[in-house]
Amino acid sequence: MLKKRLVGVVTVKDGWAVQSFGYKRYLPLGRPECLIENLDRWGADEILVQVIDRSVDCQIPDFELLERIARLGLETPLIYGGGIRSVHDGVRAIQFGADRLVVDSIAHDDPCIVRGLSEQLGAQAIIAALPLSLHSGRIEWLDYRRRCATPIPEDILSLLETGVASETLIIDWTNEGYPEAFQVDLVKMFPLSAVPLIAFGGISASRQMIELLSFSNVAAIAVGNFLSYREHAVQEFKKALAGMSLRPPVYESTLPGLTDA
Amino acid sequence: MGIVDYGIGNHASVMHSLRDIGFRVRVGSEIDVLNDVDVLLLPGVGAYPTAMKALHQHGLVGYLQDQARAQRPIIGICLGMQLLASASHELQYTDGLDLIPGKVVPLTEPKWHIGWNTIECVQRDSLLWPSDGQAFYFNHSFAYQGPPEYQVCVSRHLTTLSSVIRRGKVVGLQFHPEKSQAAGRILLKNVVFGLAHA
Repeated sequence: MLKKRLVGVVTVKDGWAVQSFGYKRYLPLGRPECLIENLDRWGADEILVQVIDRSVDCQIPDFELLERIARLGLETPLIYGGGIRSVHDGVRAIQFGADRLVVDSIAHDDPCIVRGLSEQLGAQAIIAALPLSLHSGRIEWLDYRRRCATPIPEDILSLLETGVASETLIIDWTNEGYPEAFQVDLVKMFPLSAVPLIAFGGISASRQMIELLSFSNVAAIAVGNFLSYREHAVQEFKKALAGMSLRPPVYESTLPGLTDA
Repeated sequence: MGIVDYGIGNHASVMHSLRDIGFRVRVGSEIDVLNDVDVLLLPGVGAYPTAMKALHQHGLVGYLQDQARAQRPIIGICLGMQLLASASHELQYTDGLDLIPGKVVPLTEPKWHIGWNTIECVQRDSLLWPSDGQAFYFNHSFAYQGPPEYQVCVSRHLTTLSSVIRRGKVVGLQFHPEKSQAAGRILLKNVVFGLAHA
């Protein structure tokens, strides 16, 4: 059966991998390639690289970074987000080695481009990112470039409902970076129950992961900072999540040997 | 190994993967290059009609059909697997390479198949049997539909999907072995060696 997934997130700002706290404070971690290699080696189910300054600074996607990542020869599927402003940008990011794309700011600017990407690359390659928060008991969507949060517009909900994006990354942006801080109500109150979700932001403990993975519409959980604090973090979390429909931790020694052809 | 380059997608991952296993890899669309390898590999990302158009433009449709008739091993990955079929209904009706009878149809409920799923061998095939029960990475919204005799492995996600198809020395893998970590590497090695030495 199809497994739920543990996605490793690498956040990049000014060319460096950073720890991000609530979308406003950043601590450097080092070269993105080092973190990405670790996640690949530890058996993350997917790796999400989000370059957070591309859209803010009106830059194109970081193709140089994608080129450097391609040279690593990853054996883990790569999701890329940051600076995708057109169908052409998205197609190029795939040509540079991304398997899937995360789009955020173009959903604010021109949802038609999301539709165009979906037609060109297939909906399975498109993930819509929604930085969300709870305010007075209702969900608000952050436009992180303008720093303003509003209720999710109906046209965006309709767009997601049509299936132009295969999954929605809901980011608890106010709690991002803080341990065990993800607000489960964001999942419970998300208005589209049929849309598969990836939960991200403040997910650090296995009991929290178990709770999130218990929701039938949560296809994956994404973890950033908290995978950087210890060696083999992915395998350790997966061990703790046994029975949660995740792919078990992978150790090469447990795989069947090669056959003689 | 010869990766058939018809201008669609990125070959870096599959090339890395094959080289890691120990194969020598050539990439190209020129007949001279492709004639000089033991196994042809057809990757693919994107839409079916665009991919078939690109194969036609590179003069590779007839070539690949001739190679299959000559019992040359051919492996298709993801969209590359779907191109091996007779036709696809993606966006419009498009004739495929027709190396394995069957058609490619949209997934309906759910509309895509994303993530790690196990494969189950439904035929005793020595190339695939060691990977029975292993999980591989899938990312597609169209799927092969054809006679059971060509379905070697299936995967289950509400419905049953063909995850490996085979006709003689032509093999299609719906998942991405190059993105499936150690399990993918082992499967790829077994399939390539098995086909090359069959």
